[in-house]
Amino acid sequence: MRGFLLTLCSVLFLSFITACSSETSVETNGANNSEEADGGILKILLSEEPSSEDALNNSFKKWAEETGNKVDTIVIPYDDQITKFPLMLKNDDVPDLVSTTRLTRLYPEEFLDLTDVVDIGIFDQAALEIIGQDYDSDSNLALPNQYTITSYFYNADAFEEVGIEVPTIDDPWTMDELISNAQKLKDSGDVNYGLAVDFSRGRYDNLMYSNGGSITQETEDSFVVSINSEENVQTLENFVEWNETDLMPKVIWTGGSTDNPADYFKNGDVGIYLSGSWEYSPMYEEITAFDWGVMPSPIGSLQQSAIAGGGGLGIPSSAENPELAKEFLEWFYKEDNYVEFLAQDKGISFINGVTYEPEDEKVIADYEILQAEMKNVTDRFLVDEKSAWRNYLDSEYRDVIKRAVSGELTAKEALDVFANDLSEKSDWEIAN
Amino acid sequence: MSKNSRNHRVFWLFIAPSGVLFTIFFLIPLFLNLILSFTNYDGWKQMDFIGIENYVRVLQDKEFYSAFFRSIIYTIVNLPFKVAIPLLLAVLLTSPKVRFKTLARTLIYIPVLLSALVMGITINWMFSQEYGLVNFIIQQLGGSPLEWGSNVVLATIVISVASTLMTTGFFMIIYIGSINNLSSDIYEAAEIDGANSVQKFISVTFPLLAPTTFLVTLLSTIDLLKEYALVQGVTQGGPGTGTTYTIQYIFDKGFNQGEYGYATAISAIVMIVFAIIAYVQFKTNQGGEKY
Repeated sequence: MRGFLLTLCSVLFLSFITACSSETSVETNGANNSEEADGGILKILLSEEPSSEDALNNSFKKWAEETGNKVDTIVIPYDDQITKFPLMLKNDDVPDLVSTTRLTRLYPEEFLDLTDVVDIGIFDQAALEIIGQDYDSDSNLALPNQYTITSYFYNADAFEEVGIEVPTIDDPWTMDELISNAQKLKDSGDVNYGLAVDFSRGRYDNLMYSNGGSITQETEDSFVVSINSEENVQTLENFVEWNETDLMPKVIWTGGSTDNPADYFKNGDVGIYLSGSWEYSPMYEEITAFDWGVMPSPIGSLQQSAIAGGGGLGIPSSAENPELAKEFLEWFYKEDNYVEFLAQDKGISFINGVTYEPEDEKVIADYEILQAEMKNVTDRFLVDEKSAWRNYLDSEYRDVIKRAVSGELTAKEALDVFANDLSEKSDWEIAN
Repeated sequence: MSKNSRNHRVFWLFIAPSGVLFTIFFLIPLFLNLILSFTNYDGWKQMDFIGIENYVRVLQDKEFYSAFFRSIIYTIVNLPFKVAIPLLLAVLLTSPKVRFKTLARTLIYIPVLLSALVMGITINWMFSQEYGLVNFIIQQLGGSPLEWGSNVVLATIVISVASTLMTTGFFMIIYIGSINNLSSDIYEAAEIDGANSVQKFISVTFPLLAPTTFLVTLLSTIDLLKEYALVQGVTQGGPGTGTTYTIQYIFDKGFNQGEYGYATAISAIVMIVFAIIAYVQFKTNQGGEKY
């Protein structure tokens, strides 16, 4: 009896192991068979689940239809890519093409130089640098697929109701005017909040740059940390006050909720919303209950500020099908294909001489303002980008702002904490 | 083969499956964790031996102490609810005077079946400040919406309620099992002595359930000290760092900031402290055999 039980257990165990092995093998064979039958399979890594309106995803679809290839999509949000990508490399299971904002900066040795894949001269040089985030070498590890600019959206119906005149490119508001008008909007009761700002340091930093602040300053041969300067402390104190007085929805920046300010704006609960051009297309599709538009950035104590950014496409060195990825890039940047992509994306063009020409009068007016914001990208932002401070600390910066807004730290304490941490990690001194 | 030798073989045959799983999923990770805690591993290519540097850093880390003491206070405040509510429900739902007992037990047990993260996300939606169900109801009743997401006390209350809700069913079932095993002779004797229901509960039921209460207390303590997925779903550690407990802090250091070596050192220290807490509980209650 004992012998029978032992034999039975052994047989069951071996069957289990064999079953697991067979499953893997079937999956692998399945993939190989379809590759042989229908052309190549391009494995791509995207940051979010592609919708039917997603311009890049539609480009992938069109390329697949035209060439007979297939596209296999993996979705990992930008923030998670940082921790998941190394695991993919370790497991030797990397995608052929990644759409990313930071991977090529964090793991440059793991990506192919794309300089010879397409004619680099076609790209807007600023877009190439800002998206590639590589200021020290001549290589191009990420080619643009989205070029964005921060922007202020406004609820046109609420503005009209309160009698607020919309600022223009030639006559922008000051920051004081923006706050005063946001307060009027809130007081009118037409909206619940006068102003909302995305829970992102990339949006908050506009307030800092417009007041003459920066995170770092360039010295002769290095950088110094200037995040805890007096003007930055003042900027953060103002920001905390706007949250404290409910001019802004405080819950967004205290971090105790997943509330999305874009939803607040789309629901008509916010008068002015600081976000970015990437929100334009979704808003255009989704907001039908009220009129809205884009307005120029306000002038802080020094100047206007906008932050350019975006995403790029990179090919990992250990990709299984790098040639297929290169084929896609060549196809994607051909003028006809790019123009079609841009029309759907309604974004800022990153190829010289090719612009998006909308038909809708409203979109034309908004697009003009978005394009004009490009000139408000400050030198201090470019210095901060060049310093690559985010290679040392990143989410920690937003965390200290969060702690200041929630009242755990004063504005000065919060920025001092971050300045000390950044200085320690980077070996840069703190500016006097 | 002697009977003793055969019993030994049977013993190891029964132990083997759990022993293998214990080794794979606990001992090996524990060993790797301890090795990594002496390195500056960044999750990628950097992994140099740095001695006890991480441990020294943990002991000087104010943020770690804040998160740790927040966990302790959260545990102390919530523990009585985690133990008392299932006990009272079990007593109620074993009483012959109560109707629909099976239905009530089932309803109370349902939250146990949900994953903590799913529960957290659902609670997060319900308590969303602007568009949440609870604030909607409060406003419909003429009240002002509450700042669930930006007030530390309210955020902690939400997590605490959700946490208790998630475990009440499980502990209630354990208590019901124990109550059903209590001898009816003792209750009859108590009735003859003229004890009323409350006196019977205090003098008979509660003392006899001591081993079960010890088990529930121990499991609840460890659960509360390790609270992670629920917090991640509800508040993500906010507002500020108001609900950032020890495990969130370890996760943040390791997976968000890439300081795997440091995070493993914190884990090692925290594991030792948690083990000491469990040991003290065990000794204090004499393993539940005190009464």
